[in-house]
Amino acid sequence: MRYLNPKYQVFNRYDLFHEQEEQKTHRFSHDAMLQRVAEHVVDGDDMKITDVVCEALTVKNPQEVIREGLIAGMDEVSRLWSEGSYFLPQVVLSSDAMLAGIAACEEKMGRPIKRRGKIVTHTAEGDIHDIGQTIVNALLGAAGFEIINLGADVLVDHVVQACREHRPIMLGGTALMTTTMSAFPRIAAKLKRLNLRIPFVCGGGAVNENFVSGFDLGIWGKDASWAVGMAEDALKGMTWRQIRAKWNG
Amino acid sequence: MKLTQTMAYAEAADMMFGSSLHPVTTKSGLCIGGGQVVPEIVVHPRAGSEASLKTLLREFERGYGDALERCVSVGLPRTCLEIEHVAQMTRQPDWGAQVAVQTVSLMERFRNQFGIQSACRFTIADIRKPDMVHMRDSERTEHVLDAFDACARHADMVAIESLGGKEIFDHAIIRNDVTGMLFGQAVLGCRDMQWLWPQIVSIARQHGCRPSGDTGCAHANTAMFMAGGYQSREIPHTLAALARAISVGKTLVAYECGATGPGKNCAYENPMIKAITGVPISCEGKSSACAHSSFCGNVIAAVCDLWSNEAVEYHAMFGGTTPAVFSELLGYDAALMNTALGMGYERQLQECMVNSDRYRDPQSYILCPDNAWKIGKAVTENSQSFYARARAAALKCGELIFEDSRLQLTVYERDALAHYMAELDKLPEDESDFIDLCLTRYAKIKGFRRESYGL
Repeated sequence: MRYLNPKYQVFNRYDLFHEQEEQKTHRFSHDAMLQRVAEHVVDGDDMKITDVVCEALTVKNPQEVIREGLIAGMDEVSRLWSEGSYFLPQVVLSSDAMLAGIAACEEKMGRPIKRRGKIVTHTAEGDIHDIGQTIVNALLGAAGFEIINLGADVLVDHVVQACREHRPIMLGGTALMTTTMSAFPRIAAKLKRLNLRIPFVCGGGAVNENFVSGFDLGIWGKDASWAVGMAEDALKGMTWRQIRAKWNG
Repeated sequence: MKLTQTMAYAEAADMMFGSSLHPVTTKSGLCIGGGQVVPEIVVHPRAGSEASLKTLLREFERGYGDALERCVSVGLPRTCLEIEHVAQMTRQPDWGAQVAVQTVSLMERFRNQFGIQSACRFTIADIRKPDMVHMRDSERTEHVLDAFDACARHADMVAIESLGGKEIFDHAIIRNDVTGMLFGQAVLGCRDMQWLWPQIVSIARQHGCRPSGDTGCAHANTAMFMAGGYQSREIPHTLAALARAISVGKTLVAYECGATGPGKNCAYENPMIKAITGVPISCEGKSSACAHSSFCGNVIAAVCDLWSNEAVEYHAMFGGTTPAVFSELLGYDAALMNTALGMGYERQLQECMVNSDRYRDPQSYILCPDNAWKIGKAVTENSQSFYARARAAALKCGELIFEDSRLQLTVYERDALAHYMAELDKLPEDESDFIDLCLTRYAKIKGFRRESYGL
């Protein structure tokens, strides 16, 4: 086999052109214990974090450990992700670590902490391709939202019932196939009939902006990484029309 | 089951597009891998067409009718039609059967009217989602097997994209966990296929239909899509390359159970499969950009026998409907390869395909025929267990990526690969020790049930 002279350019490696050097923050707290908690979140160490958090809880109150250790660490992870230094697995592992740490704090408090807002997510009826939903759940969980995960291949009526029961600030739906995404307008129509005007973010392989803009409540989620920003907007009280106008079109 | 210990091709240089060591002739008389590349068109129905059998039949009739019409219009001598089941066609096997009857009738009409040679492949939807049902004992499992029986009566070929091990794989891939990827694909995925495929082969043989093949689509293609392009930050591209290497041992199980090929289009591991088995393979690349992007648009054609577009949704374009347009694109791609074969320029064309993409990305690099053959060799030399051969393939893949200085890696990709290689190195040699380790580690993953895999 003959090989092309590398100087003869048939493609350009843009990933090498703008390689981002990781600029981690190293100081999260002046307290050594809380510093360790935050570092374990940033490093995504879900194996050791429970021990580290439990040790911190012997001298700190749980709210302090959550605020200045776990959330401080996760804020740094969000920064590294948004500037392009962290990849998805690092965010997911950090989220796992943070949630394990919060569970230890909740045990100490004897009650669950208040999450930022409830979001129902599902993969469309007839569709079993749910990795997109898994990623969205991980990112929303990392941002402190409470996820009601209905799973894959969820009946339209089941989604509507979950919205009646939980009254979420936002509903998420993913679909890979064109022949399953038709569940989304049916859900939206039923929600409207019940006067549940919940922003309904739809995304996934075959789902496109034209389709989602074709029904009320629908907002197109191009990328899983948009989910947190849209949830923040829903939490602020923006309507589905306002969120759609901001993110779509 | 005895695992494959030998390579069908003595060396990579013997592999060429259009010809395979074990060509397949379908019941409708189309020869695949016998000296020419054949286009394989796949049409996906539009949203809403699944509402009733009537609308779905009409959608497929329109799509494949347009495709065959364009094949005739531009003079393609032969074509293959692949129909990928939407879930409704597998859940209601009669729907799948009626689409098959209609497709065969359509092909016959064009054959009688114009003499165009064609064959059809039906890919049954694997609706057994591992975290939702028992893989071997559920209503969904019955539907899958019934759908095979209903379609094999009419189709030339049947195939599936099996989902065994996906519950663990999906958990692992977003956590940089190569051990979980190995467990999901090599231990669970292979055991699921070892249970499923003898049944598919038996059903197909009863009806004179070809049990064609399976794919790592649910696993390695998930990794490939997540890895994305140069700007994507979902998972490292080196991890996607390892997922591809690991998938070889899983896809191979179908052939070890009696599948004959042609390999399924979305199995990007097919160059390795061809090297090991000698069966004809279907591949997709530049002309499947309608379905998804990849780094291997040209190189993946280097040893293909069928050339596919993966899936195109039915729509109008300036040049006609999408099935017509993509039939023409595939037809010209195949015509160029067949012209090269006819004029004795095939080696030069293959070199161009390989050089176009070789150093674009680690994923395209490992699919070059020389590297694909070496990974295949690692699989056959480590036939002690499903696990041993998959781990060996992953280690060989990493070794190949590291050893060629012309393949540039970002610091992140290089560090990530070094981390995966160290993790793979530390794993136990013996499969039963590995299974014990994983059953403990992944016992609490949502929906994982060991009994689905006979463990």
